[in-house]
Amino acid sequence: MSGFFGTTTADVVATWVAAIVTLVVLGALIGERRLFGWSQHLLAGLATGFLALIALTEVLGPRLVQPLAADPAARPDLWAGVALAATAAAAPWLPRQLSVIPVSIAIGALAAFALGGAVIGTLLPQLDASIARPGGSAAAMVAGALAAVLTALVLIGFLHGMPRGRLLSGAAGAGRWLLIGGLGGWLGFLILSRLILLVDRIGFLLGDWLGLAP
Amino acid sequence: MNERAGLRLFRVAPVLLLVVLAVAWQLPEQRWLRLSSSDPEVARQMTSTLDALPDEPLVLVGFDPDLGTYAEVRPTVRALLADLLARDGRLAFVSLTAEGRALASAEIARLGRGAANPTRLLDLGFIAGAEAGLVDLTRGVQLPGDEADGSFARQVDADGIDAFDAVAVIGGNDLGPRSWVEQVAPRIGEIPLVAVTPTVLLPEVQPYLAGGQLAAVLGTPRDGAAYREGLDLGNLERLVDPTPPRSLPLLIGVLIAVAVLGQTLGSRLLEFLRAARAPAAG
Repeated sequence: MSGFFGTTTADVVATWVAAIVTLVVLGALIGERRLFGWSQHLLAGLATGFLALIALTEVLGPRLVQPLAADPAARPDLWAGVALAATAAAAPWLPRQLSVIPVSIAIGALAAFALGGAVIGTLLPQLDASIARPGGSAAAMVAGALAAVLTALVLIGFLHGMPRGRLLSGAAGAGRWLLIGGLGGWLGFLILSRLILLVDRIGFLLGDWLGLAP
Repeated sequence: MNERAGLRLFRVAPVLLLVVLAVAWQLPEQRWLRLSSSDPEVARQMTSTLDALPDEPLVLVGFDPDLGTYAEVRPTVRALLADLLARDGRLAFVSLTAEGRALASAEIARLGRGAANPTRLLDLGFIAGAEAGLVDLTRGVQLPGDEADGSFARQVDADGIDAFDAVAVIGGNDLGPRSWVEQVAPRIGEIPLVAVTPTVLLPEVQPYLAGGQLAAVLGTPRDGAAYREGLDLGNLERLVDPTPPRSLPLLIGVLIAVAVLGQTLGSRLLEFLRAARAPAAG
């Protein structure tokens, strides 16, 4: 049971709509592609509408319009944001030197936060955690050394187009096989997740919609 | 099997799969298939982390699962929320993705229908800006206009993220436990981070758990089931899923998936052997 719907009339209608759309999606398995295509358009439309709604009601309204309307002089940073957004919107009609500014700032900020966070939050702490320290257990030391060897092999596997010796080529080949093995394991996890989703949808149809308890 | 019969089977197979899974869903749960029979250590780690929180803890719930994997973590997520409420906790929900926001709204509405104490719930809404939004969250929490009342809201408004005793991240989307570990954990000191994630994220979060950056993770259906079985929620039992996940259809589905993969690999191997034998014969 998904538990997303209650017992009011609106909830009953929502359950029926959800059940019909679920059947339409499952109908693609037996070749009914047209209705499935419409359901994809419905999903895309709903997602776009929802995104626009939360952008308006939870971001632009309370975080931009309301503060500026309350005291226009108090938040010069927001005016800078408005100028950047206006520049981005008018990009097709502006000189390139001007129109690239908002995109450059957005990409630069995104890269800076992502890269800085990856180094401070992942790379350095994980390196620290994987260092084999004296006094640690033998198993931890072996596991740390093995992790370092596997990581190095996979990184070597990404070397392309460089002159190599036999040793480096062998290491790169081993690294690529390790990478494929890792991807295979990850896909196995993904199959499990999707299978759970399918069983959940079947449970929704049988339990929530038809009222059949297991 | 001739080609026409094979084609017919290929067309009917998906429907057969659905029928088999539907029948398996209806069958009574087998004791030997219980998901919760796994190693309880992971569940114990989560419980002991929550036990170590102060009385009436304030918990920030980073709610960003994705629609494709939420079915897997949903029973565990609901159990965790009920567990925190049973500990007299107060929960503030925040999302950084549109999908997460949609699911958070649905779960908050569900808690409302289950008559959860509304003074213990705070909806901080959606924060734009991905990683930058997370960093912004550590500098100050902006309350939506309709959530500005109440002692919980006032405390969060005054202290920001420092008001919270723990952060619970519901993962699955791009901005999951990894983003919280990278962007938030270095900026908030010793506040413990716990996570509930689908299995597909396990390789990503396991190193953070081993390195101590995450205090506890429930990352597989079995870990989630073990955690749920150890809970004593009293009258808040109404907030968890009434029907536990069914393991028999899962087992059948996995076996079918393995059989399909095996059949593909087997036919490839046969082709390879035939090709290898052909020049030798020629």
